[in-house]
Amino acid sequence: MGTRSSGVTAPGSRQGARRGKDALTAYMFITPAMLHTLLFMLLPAAAALYFSFTEWDMISPARWVGFANYQEVLFNGDLYPDFWKSVRVTLVYGLLAVPASLLTGFVQAYLIDGIRRGQPFFRLAFYLPVITAEAAVGAIWKWLYDPQFGLINAALGFFGINGPDWLGTPGTVVPALALIAAWQSGSAMLIFLAGLKGIPRSYYEAAEVDGANAGQRLWSITLPLLRPTTFFLTVTGIIAALQVFGIVYVLFSSNIGPEGAGLTYVLHLYLAGFRNGGMGAASAMSFLLFAFILLITAVQFRVLPRQYEE
Amino acid sequence: MTLHRKSLAGVAAVGLVASLAACGSSAVSAGTTVDFWYYQPTPEQAAKVQQLVKEFEAANPAIDIKLVEVPKDDYNTKLASALAGKKGPDAGYLDQPQMARYAGSGQIAEVPAGTVNEGDFYEGALNTNKVNGKLYGVPLQQTTVVLFYNKELVDTPPQTWDDLVATAERVHQAKPNIAGVAVPKGDGFGAWVFPGFVASAGGTMLDEKNKKVTFAEPPAQEALGLWRRLLQSAPRKITNSELPFQKGLAAMMFSGPWDILGIREQFPQLKFDVAPMPRKAKEASNIGGDNGVVFSTSDQKDAAFKWLQFLCGESHNAAFADITGNFPTNVKAAKKSTLAGDPQFKVVLDQLESAQARPAVKDWIQINDDYLAKAIEEAVDGGAPPATALNTAAERARKLLGW
Repeated sequence: MGTRSSGVTAPGSRQGARRGKDALTAYMFITPAMLHTLLFMLLPAAAALYFSFTEWDMISPARWVGFANYQEVLFNGDLYPDFWKSVRVTLVYGLLAVPASLLTGFVQAYLIDGIRRGQPFFRLAFYLPVITAEAAVGAIWKWLYDPQFGLINAALGFFGINGPDWLGTPGTVVPALALIAAWQSGSAMLIFLAGLKGIPRSYYEAAEVDGANAGQRLWSITLPLLRPTTFFLTVTGIIAALQVFGIVYVLFSSNIGPEGAGLTYVLHLYLAGFRNGGMGAASAMSFLLFAFILLITAVQFRVLPRQYEE
Repeated sequence: MTLHRKSLAGVAAVGLVASLAACGSSAVSAGTTVDFWYYQPTPEQAAKVQQLVKEFEAANPAIDIKLVEVPKDDYNTKLASALAGKKGPDAGYLDQPQMARYAGSGQIAEVPAGTVNEGDFYEGALNTNKVNGKLYGVPLQQTTVVLFYNKELVDTPPQTWDDLVATAERVHQAKPNIAGVAVPKGDGFGAWVFPGFVASAGGTMLDEKNKKVTFAEPPAQEALGLWRRLLQSAPRKITNSELPFQKGLAAMMFSGPWDILGIREQFPQLKFDVAPMPRKAKEASNIGGDNGVVFSTSDQKDAAFKWLQFLCGESHNAAFADITGNFPTNVKAAKKSTLAGDPQFKVVLDQLESAQARPAVKDWIQINDDYLAKAIEEAVDGGAPPATALNTAAERARKLLGW
């Protein structure tokens, strides 16, 4: 990541004369990205904001209802009996999945950084789960978690452990989902790896001269200097975890899991909008989620350590 | 109405159009393509549907049918999104309980008079196409659910609920690794099968005429009680495995004719048979099926209706329904169905006579998939008293329906 920027900046001497032209060229380069953001992200978001104040089933014309959707989603337990359940499921998922994937991402990066040969191979191997289609990932894990023929329970059985019905027991559903997230931590691995490469070797050499062992070097140099990376990954990880949808949708084939244990916030939103025809309420839910993510991100910027301070 | 005249003219003109392709102003012009959405079948079945298309196109050279296969689980959401984005098909399947919603908002075209003769169809199947007395689609196929049993584990299929419990217990006690029966769950499928059990115990789901929710009454409670009892000889840890009946992990299951075909194709080694649903007070099951509709946004309505006519008509309805393991809705076609001569399908055909239609209210899917499914799960898996779980669901349904 860090290595790419050096080639982009033009040498200082030519910069002034060509500034205007450069700016134009730059704008031309980012135009496609800006159009994409405008057409496929900002406009739909604006439309969703409008629809969140309407009653709309995607079939009949939308009818303005003011704040009724927000009120009903939050407080009408008869119309949306599972709303708060979906909030709980998602928060527990975030609490498990984010630390788990940070840990596996870091361990992978740390181990890869420590080897001399074969780094590209392991980088690719650990990144593969990220770029594998969600449907395929779901199908594989469904099979791994199968209570009768699953590989995971077969492995546990080897040690004499009678494995649970992972996706069929309410208590194990969210941990099972978090395990998949930990396995899919390739992005965190890559970013941690970039962070590790950014720590000057001289710090370690100096520490070694002072007699610090591997554990002390990890604890006193690596981890503190990775704080900006960890902060970035925590913030983006929580945002992603709160929006988890695809894997749950595939694993439970558009159902909600035992006793609703797999009903994440976005799955609930999806079912309300697309299955039950409550697109207005679903839009309201998406803006409630947006507000919550904004809030929790602001809090993290306040309380989490972002830089290394001596 | 101009729509009627135009389409009648179209129907009459099609024969001419074939020979007078230059007649560009006609309703069905040469090179007309009809996009038709239907549930994704197995590859073998898809090839047979394609064969039907060829037959139709040979008889109607001016029309091309473009089949679009959509997985059943995603069908309704994909359709709603496509229509909202003005990219919907010309014609397609529509799930029975969706008819009221789509017709109410003007998304599907009324079937022009003279397109079909209503007397040709089974009344139950035809009526699922009517909204406020008007015909908005044609019935293409219908289905129901029967008892499947593994012949190596069950000698004689149970006929009553008590038999069913006893048989399930016997199997599970003899072989603790095998579940007596795959007990339906609190999901969309379980809630779809449930009304058959309620009817068997002498109850109903809704009383639409008097605006009363009836699915919390004692017959429904007894039905949930039965499932709860069956669960004791059918641990979820066994039946939660993929396709437990097909793999011999469950001795019995409740399912439809699609699984008769599916098992024959994919699990030929499984020795199974089907039997009527075990009953309590009377014989009963639930009904399902698919209607064919033409969407209002289509600019090929005449050609699209011709294709639907072909699918539900006397000469091809049986062939079409046979392909997907469903039953004809056209009475004369049913007599020709090759499935009627198949002893396993005969059981299903007989069961159809006692099959209960689902309530025809606009919000039934939400009541079924959200409220009722939740009550089933709470009572069956959670062990909550059936009356409590069902009363909560009924209360929510009353509020949603405004009854």
